[in-house]
Amino acid sequence: MIVVGWEAKMLRDKRQEYLVALLLVGPFVLIYGALFDWPTIQMAMLSFTKAPLIGAGDWVGWDNYAKILSHKLFHQAFWNTAYFVLLTVIPNTLISLVIALAVNRLKGPVQGFVLACFFLPYILPVSVVFLTWNWIIDVQYGLVQGLVALFNGGQPISLTRTIPLFMPTVAFVTIWWTMGFNILLFIAGLRNISPEIYEAASLDSAGRWRQFQRITWPLIWPVTALVLTIQLIAQLKIFDQVYLFSIGGRQDATITLVQYVYKLAFQQNKGGEAATAAMLLFGMIIILSVLQYQLLRARGEK
Amino acid sequence: MSAEAIPNREVLATTRSRGDGPIDMIGLVLTVITILVALASFFPIYWAVITSIKPDGEVISGSNSLWPNRMVFDSYIHIWNNTNIGIWYINSMVTSLIITALVIVSSAGCAYALSQLDFPGRRVIYVLILACFMVPMQALIVNHFVLMAQFKLLNTWAGIILPQLIVPVVIIVYKQFFDSVPKEFREAAQMDSAGHLKILFRIYLPMNWGVTASLAIITFIGAWNAFLWPFLAATGEATMTVPVGITQVKDAYGIVYGKLMASAVVAGLPVAVVYLIFQRRVTQAIMLSAGVKG
Amino acid sequence: MRLSLKRLALVSTALMALTSAAAAQQNVVWWDFLAGGDGVRMKALISEFNTEHQGEISIENTTLEWGTPFYTKLQTSAAIGEGPDIATYHLSRIPLAVDSGTLSEITDEDMAGAGISDADFTQAASDAGKVDGTRYAVPFDQHGLILYYNKDMLAEAGLIGDDGLPKGLDGLENFNKILADFTKDGKYGISTPTGDRYRTIYSLFGQQGGTMFDEAAGGFFPTDEDVTKLTNAIEVVKGWVDSGYTPVQVESPAALALFTSGQSPFFIMGNWEVPTMVDLHAKGELFEWGAVELPTLFENKAAWSDSHAFVVPANAGKDVDADKRAAVMKVIAWMDQHSLDWAGAGHIPAFNAVRESAEFQALKPQSDYAGFADTAVFDPRTILAGPAAPLGDAWSNFINPATTGEIEPADAAAQMRDDLNGQL
Repeated sequence: MIVVGWEAKMLRDKRQEYLVALLLVGPFVLIYGALFDWPTIQMAMLSFTKAPLIGAGDWVGWDNYAKILSHKLFHQAFWNTAYFVLLTVIPNTLISLVIALAVNRLKGPVQGFVLACFFLPYILPVSVVFLTWNWIIDVQYGLVQGLVALFNGGQPISLTRTIPLFMPTVAFVTIWWTMGFNILLFIAGLRNISPEIYEAASLDSAGRWRQFQRITWPLIWPVTALVLTIQLIAQLKIFDQVYLFSIGGRQDATITLVQYVYKLAFQQNKGGEAATAAMLLFGMIIILSVLQYQLLRARGEK
Repeated sequence: MSAEAIPNREVLATTRSRGDGPIDMIGLVLTVITILVALASFFPIYWAVITSIKPDGEVISGSNSLWPNRMVFDSYIHIWNNTNIGIWYINSMVTSLIITALVIVSSAGCAYALSQLDFPGRRVIYVLILACFMVPMQALIVNHFVLMAQFKLLNTWAGIILPQLIVPVVIIVYKQFFDSVPKEFREAAQMDSAGHLKILFRIYLPMNWGVTASLAIITFIGAWNAFLWPFLAATGEATMTVPVGITQVKDAYGIVYGKLMASAVVAGLPVAVVYLIFQRRVTQAIMLSAGVKG
Repeated sequence: MRLSLKRLALVSTALMALTSAAAAQQNVVWWDFLAGGDGVRMKALISEFNTEHQGEISIENTTLEWGTPFYTKLQTSAAIGEGPDIATYHLSRIPLAVDSGTLSEITDEDMAGAGISDADFTQAASDAGKVDGTRYAVPFDQHGLILYYNKDMLAEAGLIGDDGLPKGLDGLENFNKILADFTKDGKYGISTPTGDRYRTIYSLFGQQGGTMFDEAAGGFFPTDEDVTKLTNAIEVVKGWVDSGYTPVQVESPAALALFTSGQSPFFIMGNWEVPTMVDLHAKGELFEWGAVELPTLFENKAAWSDSHAFVVPANAGKDVDADKRAAVMKVIAWMDQHSLDWAGAGHIPAFNAVRESAEFQALKPQSDYAGFADTAVFDPRTILAGPAAPLGDAWSNFINPATTGEIEPADAAAQMRDDLNGQL
């Protein structure tokens, strides 16, 4: 009798647990289903049609893929994005590591102040970053032009309208904007290195550089790898800064992949082709993300 | 390392003090350089603020003085009178707060279920969340736009909010923390026949109050700063958020620099204030979201 | 007062629920892309209209970034039924707009209801607002490329005639010689913003009698001769850059400053900078200046030109509200009838009664360059034409960079032809 009653209670509890689970997971399932899974499926479907942005279109099979993959502007967008990644990811990581090492030496309020100076830009909206830097590099009155003139025979130069200078300029601004994030991760990593290891090393009278080479760098490498992959994936999705700085300029020359999707969908009203380009971007990022995940897992197992 | 190398305390002390003389100089130089670079990094923000309180004439005089000769708030008055920044502010504030509340509540509930309850489909959902973590929301702009258009949600707060509710990292962080709460707490509570909702809100959330605060702050900052989606979802001036409005609507003519900087300062102010008040929480949230224990 | 009203109206739009109470007054949502001096004058006109029609019609205006951002927003918003009630538009872009279904037809009855008709405009202008005989736009002005000059500097060089206007500027070699003479002591011969050079090039292409588009003959730049003419035109401007007559990279505000600070005697720009000069001069901050038609460097007179017009976006899924339409037409007619103020922004009014009025004829320097309207070269009538359209993109992707040495002029011309024909 007692046993049966207990089992019944178990069963009732179980059913109640399902109900609670449904209640708790329900909102999430709804949100993700409607705003993530459904649009993803729709995007895949749309990529095989010749539809405008709003409305239906004829099924065209793989035509869009063939068209986009051979589209000159797509290649341009791909290489611009790759170039931007190259200009930001590794420099950003290295600069952040150097700053983290420098900040980590400091103590107390000085450290807090210095860290805040480096981190503050990261929490600002991209529009603020854009407006601020656009003013600093303004051809006529920008502060930076004094410096630019030294390298350009006394002449000011537009850093965002001179195409070869566009990406380096935007990359520089992006590094300034986002390095606070990386610095934080590096500092966390550095704090995890036990001080005894350094103390032991300092007895070897190892110089700062050797100490860095032999201890810091290998021990901080997992964080470095993490920062590199986070950056890589974030910068592949670049749109905001590049778009804002290119308004009024030659946008095609500096177009990136997300911007290419935007152009097809919202400027040219080609919903189908835009979905195709988005699918290709989607694929690229997923492949890289899986690689990142494997890397992190490998780190976790070690 | 050989055994002989292990020093006694005395040796250690002398080694240190011996090394300190010359190293201290280098150390001092390094400290000064670090502070200078930090100030340089902060300088653009300072420059934006200073420009916004200079008279127009001084801004373009080429003097580039680090402090305004005459401090004026004309630029702020201009943007207040000539743009709808007040409305954009309301839009930003409302959408960011709603996004924060919804993300935190739905993520905490979901994470609790995934962490503490046993139900069919649990694994599938967790894998889905991890998968979602990898997917670029930027790739979905086209179909989010189409979806919102179908439901007539473009140019509404709901339309701006909905696609921004996908923040999988919050669930993952919550789940990690809930996993680490000892089972005894829940079992003891269940003895008192407390329901799961009670356990979540009375035990699990309060125990992880700091985490909730950190996640809420970073979600708010993220929502306030969002550009691409609000830029697409708000086609009219009435529903634009601050970051969108200040770059899309032209209201200043002539010497615009001071006015643009004033709008930048106003747009950045809320997140800057949140950061300065909750520095520690923001730092923690960033480390959590990157999977690094701080 | 007006601004707080406008804000109130916007809040109510945002909150949706409150609007029904204010049904007595028609709120007309207006989008334009008019910045600088244009923006100031348009805002004044709108303000005047609102005061005059208080309690009846109120214009809620928004100014968006000129070009691609504006046209992107307008097209997308109309497609989802969220566009404005009225918008400014370039006549050159009407074929593209109609092709993408952005615009709503404006009928003869609509026009008559507001007391205007095609007869109020030149034949060419009203035709430009139509596609296959259906009207989609009401013309507002004609604007074009003109030559601003520093009268003091020209007088010193003996280039001012007895009529007070510049003389002896025509002819390529002659003009280049003049520019060369002015280029010294850190001064430039001529100021031309990099992003606007295509307009000069198109004007010079027109001066050689080139054909940009002929559907029957094979599309854009149908003959090799046309491509050569385009190349020649590029070479002229590139020559100015190469010889140091004009800076390599210079944005519009800086190019304007080069002229207004006396660093360059000439400035090639659209007529919309006229108010800037007028205002500066009125404040005593500018030398004696003037503006005339572009010099003729090749065989014919010609200058790039386009027109601003008003359109009514076709908001998908929204039925046409007759009262709203009447209010919108009233706004359009009022603006055209009051376009003398707009002429102050340097534009030539499209409305015959205003353009032919003694007041307009008396405006200086407008009357000095008004002749460009007769020899204007417009964008061809094709769905690829206009700003924020393939033609506009091609200009900035191929032709502007050719003036700074990024692309060889001949290659740029060929690439532009191939790019456009590839999109036909």
